[in-house]
Amino acid sequence: MTQKTETFSFTIDGKQVYAEPGETVMKIAGKNGINIPGLCHHESVSPYGACRLCIVEVFWGKKSKLVASCIYFPSPNDIVETNNKRVRSRRRMIIELLLTRCPDVEIIQKLAREYDVEKTRFAETSGLKNEQRCILCGLCVRTCDEIIGRHAISYANRGTDRMVTTPFDDQSDECIGCGACVFVCPTKALHYEDIDGKRFFEELHTQVPLVKCRLCGNAFASQKQIDVMMERLEISREMAETCPRCRSSSFGETMAQVLGKYKAGEAVIGSDKFS
Amino acid sequence: MKISTPEKLAEIRSSAREELLNGKPRVLVGMATCGLATGAQNVFDALLKEVKKRKTDIKVIGTGCIGACFMEPLVDVVMPGQSRITYSKVRPDDVSALMDAIVNGNVYEDRAVGRIDAEPFLLDDTSKNYGNGPLSPQIKKIPLYSDIPFFSKQMHIAMRNCGYIDPLSMNEYIAKGGYSAAAKALKEMSPEQIIEEIKLSGLRGRGGGGFPTGRKWETCRKTHGESKYVICNADEGDPGAYMDRSIIEGDPHSVIEGMLIGSFAIGANEGYIYIREEYPLAVKRFREALKQAEECGFLGTDIFGSGHSLKIKINRGAGAFVCGESTALMASIEGRVGEPRAKYIHTVESGLWGRPTCLNNVETWNNVPVIIARGSKWFSGIGTEGSKGTKVFSVVGKINRVGLVEIPMGITLRNIIYDIGGGIPENADFKAVQTGGPSGGCIPAQCLDSPVDFESLTALGSMMGSGGMIVMDEKTCMVDVAKYFLSFLREESCGKCVPCREGIAQMLSILTAICEGRGAQSDLALLKELAQLMKDTSLCALGSTAANPVLSTMKYFLDEYKAHIDDKHCPARVCRALIRYSILADKCTGCTACATACPSKAVTGKKKTPHEIDQSKCIKCGICLDACKFDAIEFK
Repeated sequence: MTQKTETFSFTIDGKQVYAEPGETVMKIAGKNGINIPGLCHHESVSPYGACRLCIVEVFWGKKSKLVASCIYFPSPNDIVETNNKRVRSRRRMIIELLLTRCPDVEIIQKLAREYDVEKTRFAETSGLKNEQRCILCGLCVRTCDEIIGRHAISYANRGTDRMVTTPFDDQSDECIGCGACVFVCPTKALHYEDIDGKRFFEELHTQVPLVKCRLCGNAFASQKQIDVMMERLEISREMAETCPRCRSSSFGETMAQVLGKYKAGEAVIGSDKFS
Repeated sequence: MKISTPEKLAEIRSSAREELLNGKPRVLVGMATCGLATGAQNVFDALLKEVKKRKTDIKVIGTGCIGACFMEPLVDVVMPGQSRITYSKVRPDDVSALMDAIVNGNVYEDRAVGRIDAEPFLLDDTSKNYGNGPLSPQIKKIPLYSDIPFFSKQMHIAMRNCGYIDPLSMNEYIAKGGYSAAAKALKEMSPEQIIEEIKLSGLRGRGGGGFPTGRKWETCRKTHGESKYVICNADEGDPGAYMDRSIIEGDPHSVIEGMLIGSFAIGANEGYIYIREEYPLAVKRFREALKQAEECGFLGTDIFGSGHSLKIKINRGAGAFVCGESTALMASIEGRVGEPRAKYIHTVESGLWGRPTCLNNVETWNNVPVIIARGSKWFSGIGTEGSKGTKVFSVVGKINRVGLVEIPMGITLRNIIYDIGGGIPENADFKAVQTGGPSGGCIPAQCLDSPVDFESLTALGSMMGSGGMIVMDEKTCMVDVAKYFLSFLREESCGKCVPCREGIAQMLSILTAICEGRGAQSDLALLKELAQLMKDTSLCALGSTAANPVLSTMKYFLDEYKAHIDDKHCPARVCRALIRYSILADKCTGCTACATACPSKAVTGKKKTPHEIDQSKCIKCGICLDACKFDAIEFK
């Protein structure tokens, strides 16, 4: 299959839709009001195709195939069904597998209710009974790499032993303590705590010393993070050294949003307000 | 020395061939990894020492594996004017007597197993006798290869030079017709003509998928790209498979020549070979071969004055099975985590570093020079309608003649296992043959007369794969086999996508429960449902084919699954939790032999009265069974 260069039409759930070059089925469906579930997808980072929840069935004549809609580029005359019996039955089992792995994760429980998965028929395999929250969607890894530009975390091991961690499960020198990984995590598998002027990332074996907000005096961000913000966003030191509370929005969200927009080439709101 | 024209190459070929046939006497020792494992290095050293001691001009050469691994260490002696004589299972102690025989022009009869009267030159469609005179009665007594069952049904195309030449001698490779196909392709053919020839030959990828090679090249050629790449996939990881290792160890230049022709055809100037680090000898020999090819000008710029240039680099794999998958392999070369991506856009359009990339397996590249030299018509005359040419299999497991077997496509599994492989040891019954590695399946006895080709093996629920063939006898538990392959895949699944990562782990957990007597009726349906999910929704072929070992054993050996689940019984008596040793009171003489031998003190009883086994202490090692002289131990 070759990437198309012109707008063309195809069918999603019986509706004729139009595709711009480089758009995935998931994106086009979204534009047309058709919601496809997905756990590893975020529009600010590159698609990954790992959770397989976004599978849809594509028909060409008598043939059909299940594809991951977050990475599948449609072709003219594709007939796509996003919620038929086959698709739902496969999604149901994926959810059952995820529920076995992470029984206490709210977003999985919610999906299980939506897809009538009452209980799992499988045995726990991760060896972390009821404590495993990570579904290995990789959003944190991609965010750290592509948006923050640090690549402080990645995967270690293979199969069900695979995990997100820092090199050698040790204090990361690359981590700037921004917390974007925590913000983007859909299952709350990562978290941080600010204690005594330091930010602790327990799951990532890393602690980062914080500097104080020039307005309220609360310790809120690391020196590395402030340096990166000033360099990447071309904002003034005043803005960079002002805490998110003083900027009246949650910090991680701002960081991710601002940087996400910055990456997408959009205007960064407020960059002139503090200069 | 640069060989910059086909004329110069022909000149060297002619003198090298003369040297090969009528030069000094040559003694070839099979020194691929399989030979070295049986002690070939000691034999080689002893031969060198003996030659030095006797001050003769005999050339002692390490060669590749001719395939008869069960006969190793193998020594072949080529005396000018005589035949080439193969000696099997040669020990360093034999070397002195062997050398006596060589020096006196005799045969060392103790170890002689076969002979060849003419050196084959496959690329020129000729063979040349080693001598013109009549053969001595002593030589005539030794059977010809064509009369030895192991060799007579085989056809060596991919393995054409393995066991015949010194893999690190450019002269010997050229003598056999090496680089003449490259010269022909680069000087006399257009890229389009080469691609057409490969398409007409019907060559299909030998790495597992069986995609038509010519079509792959054509798409890659037609895709616009600033630069393109050719890659040789030598990350052979299927348990029991070692065809590609042997080809690289025995004939590295054939792979380089194939890549050279392919790169010219698609317009690539850079190539990679991805060899697993577990193959140190293959890496070493390929590296040396690359150096030689560069020195001779077969790699570099303006090769044969055609204006085409190619550089090949070696990339060593760090031991992940999934890196044999093309997109994971490319990610690994790029220095990223070796995990696959979806191939909705094919790698021939966007592969290594986003550039058009043509990736083929070792055996595929190795076949290319032969097709160019002999023509597509000749090649497509071999094999079946949909599967042309030959395929190398590594036939291992419960089989008398373990080794590499290259057969024309279309002969039957029975031909391979019984005629070539010599059947099952100890006259045991054949139970199944596993083909295609962890993505393949187990084929039962009733399908032994199926032809071996891409379509037939797929129809049986298995696949051609890269060429592993594991033979199993009646003492094999098929549920245990499925469990083995799933545990292999559990270790090797990269863990990126949910169906493969979680599905394989769950399948393994169900199979383990069945083998431990905890299986439930509903497990079989659940296994099938999981298999369907993995097949439909996994990101790459590792996941989508991972259920094949389970599905094929369930298809052909369902009664074994049922015995495990319903009767808590393992018919092959393999699954420890389900087997039971007990003492037959009427046969037990109370000799205490079993009680003395039992390592867990599970056997109790007074002397001269029947003994008993405490099942709670029994570790099911079977030592009592061996110790009892009165057949009083029952094993169920």
